[in-house]
Amino acid sequence: MEDIRSYLESGILELYVLGELSHEEAAEVQALAVKHPEIADEIAAIELALEQYAQSNAIEPDTAVGQRIFAEIGPAISLPASPVAAAVPPQHQTVTDPETGNQSARLRRLQFWLAAAVTLLVVSAGALFYTYSELSAARERITGLSLQNQQYTRNATYMLKSNEELRTMLNMNADAGWSAVRLAGTAQAPEARMMVYWHKESKQVMVNNVNLKLPEHDKNHQYQLWALVNGKPVDLGVFDAGKDTSSMMIRMKEIATAQAFAVTLEPAGGSKNPTLERMVVMGAVSI
Amino acid sequence: MYSAALYGVISRIVIQTEIAEDLLQETFLKIWNSADSYDSSKGRLFTWMMNIARNLSIDKLRSKDFKNAAKNQDIENNVNDIDRGNNVSFNPDTLGMRDLMGSLKPDLQRVLELVYFKGYTHVEVAETLDLPLGTVKTRIRLAIMELRKNFN
Repeated sequence: MEDIRSYLESGILELYVLGELSHEEAAEVQALAVKHPEIADEIAAIELALEQYAQSNAIEPDTAVGQRIFAEIGPAISLPASPVAAAVPPQHQTVTDPETGNQSARLRRLQFWLAAAVTLLVVSAGALFYTYSELSAARERITGLSLQNQQYTRNATYMLKSNEELRTMLNMNADAGWSAVRLAGTAQAPEARMMVYWHKESKQVMVNNVNLKLPEHDKNHQYQLWALVNGKPVDLGVFDAGKDTSSMMIRMKEIATAQAFAVTLEPAGGSKNPTLERMVVMGAVSI
Repeated sequence: MYSAALYGVISRIVIQTEIAEDLLQETFLKIWNSADSYDSSKGRLFTWMMNIARNLSIDKLRSKDFKNAAKNQDIENNVNDIDRGNNVSFNPDTLGMRDLMGSLKPDLQRVLELVYFKGYTHVEVAETLDLPLGTVKTRIRLAIMELRKNFN
């Protein structure tokens, strides 16, 4: 106790507060102040006295100076209420700010790129889907068009052929050499009838496929045209009734002389001799 | 409020207004930059700030360029400067404190002024005033005791 009193009275604490002591001495005073509250109290009292002494002798600096100082110290920080508030807490900010600033900036950049990537993905997927649907539609249209094209080609071929046949028929009409033979139905098929054209000089024989009226036959049978030459039947070939409409005229085998024509129903491919019971039409050459 | 108190001390150590203002700025810069080295368990914030202000001012006072600048002053002002160098002089703004200082005994007043405002170490004071070191210490203590009495 006595030691502390003399320590207090030695004047070392005053020098400590005035910053007059060396580092070692100051550290010693601090250590003692921690141990003895009387010393700490004395130091606080001295500090307070000198602080009040300074406060009572305060000189307000020019306001321009204050502004200059704040402009120098805290360009990023708005004018603080008091220098103390400005002096102490910003230390935290200046230490942590650059780090968190960098991180948040990097985070923001990453977020931006992520958003950009997702947007790109969505747009790409949309574009892909659109392209795919367009492609399917185009394929369908191509299929339709090619079908149509085939149809037109077929039509065109058919019409060309028909045209040619009509021309032939016109020529036949104009050519006196052609004679038309009307075949009438027999007792077998009273309703049946057909036309055969024969050119005596060129020996050509044609069957009119347009106004052909013969009973329907099954797959295993075909009609066979016969020419009666001096009482004997001569084979002029087979034809189908009603099924093949691609031609208006069916060209048959040639014959130089004939008194009559007849058609019998024969097994598919024809027979050597006509089956007379199955004769459907017959007609004599009028000349 | 601290700025005025700090400026009061600075402008007593360094009389030239411009330099004192610069020093105040330097003081705040240093406080700002070394705020994390302040330890509240070692003393009051103001004491810490005040010692920064005093050390900067005294360093300035003893620096080469300041002494050179002082040497280059007009001869007319020389008398004043010499006078100032030998005596404790007062900034006109601080006239109010004279009463307070006046209440101190002249011996105590002189010692405290030299230490607190002129930046003398107690060793320098002892040499200057030709006093034993122990006496200087005692006088400083007594002066502060007086102040404590006055303020409380």
